[in-house]
Amino acid sequence: MLDDKLEDVFSYTEERCLWQFFSRTWDRTENIHGVVDQATALLTGKPPKRDTPMERLHYADGRIMADDLRERYPWVREAGEAEITQVMESLKARLLDTTIARSTNRELNHHLY
Amino acid sequence: MPMVLLECDKDIPERQKHIYLKAPDEDTREYLPIANAATIPGTLSERGCAFCGAKLVIGGVLKDTIQMIHGPLGCAYDTWHTKRYPTDNGHFNMKYVWSTDMKESHIVFGGEKRLEQSMNEAFDEMPDIKRMIVYTTCPTALIGDDIKAVAKKVMKERPDVDIFTVECPGFSGVSQSKGHHVLNIGWINEKVETLEKEITSEYTMNFIGDFNIQGDTQLLQTYWDKLGIQVVAHFTGNGTYDDLRCMHQAKLNVVNCARSSGYIANELKKRYGIPRLDIDSWGFSYMAEGIRKICAFFGIEERGEALIAEEEAKWKPKLDWYKERLQGKKMAIWTGGPRLWHWTKSVEDDLGIQVVAMSSKFGHEEDFEKVIARGREGTYYIDDGNELEFFEIIDLVKPDVIFTGPRVGELVKKLHIPYVNGHGYHNGPYMGFEGFVNLARDTYNAVYNPLRHLAGVDIRDKAQSTPVILREAA
Repeated sequence: MLDDKLEDVFSYTEERCLWQFFSRTWDRTENIHGVVDQATALLTGKPPKRDTPMERLHYADGRIMADDLRERYPWVREAGEAEITQVMESLKARLLDTTIARSTNRELNHHLY
Repeated sequence: MPMVLLECDKDIPERQKHIYLKAPDEDTREYLPIANAATIPGTLSERGCAFCGAKLVIGGVLKDTIQMIHGPLGCAYDTWHTKRYPTDNGHFNMKYVWSTDMKESHIVFGGEKRLEQSMNEAFDEMPDIKRMIVYTTCPTALIGDDIKAVAKKVMKERPDVDIFTVECPGFSGVSQSKGHHVLNIGWINEKVETLEKEITSEYTMNFIGDFNIQGDTQLLQTYWDKLGIQVVAHFTGNGTYDDLRCMHQAKLNVVNCARSSGYIANELKKRYGIPRLDIDSWGFSYMAEGIRKICAFFGIEERGEALIAEEEAKWKPKLDWYKERLQGKKMAIWTGGPRLWHWTKSVEDDLGIQVVAMSSKFGHEEDFEKVIARGREGTYYIDDGNELEFFEIIDLVKPDVIFTGPRVGELVKKLHIPYVNGHGYHNGPYMGFEGFVNLARDTYNAVYNPLRHLAGVDIRDKAQSTPVILREAA
């Protein structure tokens, strides 16, 4: 069941989310953690952080993600905090693997933009 | 399905690394076309040059700036007037073209004096214009003309002018993409934070990577005005030289074309801590999502929802009329790079169109990661495609319409396949809600155009009959 739910959120992220494909490894890492954490907070009823410019940026992307996931997948609306957190942590790991660890993009680790 | 070696490429098998056919259960970890690499000898590339990327795409858009091209006349003419980026001040950028018109003697004896003379002549002829970008081209770079020194001398003699130099000859990169990069990085290094402008709203942003193609920028500006957001600088649609010097004052960088302009957004984030938000400005669903994100950043969500409701009420019925008639049509997109990933899902979701083949001239591997993530299975993804490959791909996927530039467009018209100008548009703007209805209308007009069928009838052959094409008025 976890695999199916992970597949749902991963498919959604592939289709809609440009933030996972920023220019460099450090940008992608920052976005994947930042946005998925904000979306997880919203999906589990916790107040998202909006104090710094980067927190507000990740909130903007995370809010859209949370709203879309609720709309697309009924199980998201019914899942408890533990399940949501587990799925979203798995999503982070898969995104980090796909867009960074096993990406063959030759520009990811160039030290300049 | 691994990478594809087309029949026409059997003598240049290296091309296999540049063409991918997406299959179920595959992703970019396994198959990612090589991109932003030198064109392989033996193929006839559709690419432009690095100078073109700096001048035609970015610098030449500005509405108050002389574009002095230091080179032979052709470099100026071939990057002028072809991009269709109007301005709200009478299209200054499209009315004039400037060149030092280098001839053999200048190449032999050096062109710096001629450049200085041309710069002064241009400022004298246009006394209201005080800003200039000077570009090197292949010959003037090869002979080592020092355009920075000339610009410095002219600025010293004319204290009221400001000049930016772009040293990006055509040969300096594998495609237009190098020119984008050189201009982006040069500008942030030399010009950002050299001026301060008046800030009139607590919500400020730069809108980056939109070049006012047939009015895109001006249409989107109506949204930002309604939302109360001040755009500090447009990079560079309908933009001014001095506004771009103030980019450090914005609170948010909103990026549309990440390929041509992502560099300056990255640098603004690194140097000034201004966050970078990437959005898609083409398509109803994407545009609404972009507005929602911008408003969420500023905490003005209600304003965003009101704007989206107003625009959708006005334009959605028109979009749906076209969607009903375009459902299931097959499209190929052969453009620069980002429009592949901007458009593939938006035409599918908003118009019911299947994108069956996409080719990028100057996209990087990052662009292929994006488009393969979004694109359909069974679709071809091609880097730096050439004409023979296009012919073969057309046979394989049989598109109803091709979004591409006029050069390739004229080619496919000979096959009686309609094309829509994917670079400069047919009848834009195409961004925003109204814009996507324009795109739908042009697609409909192309697909249902009876002329392309009539063109296929040989009137000398009495056995052939003229096809009847039913086309409804929009």
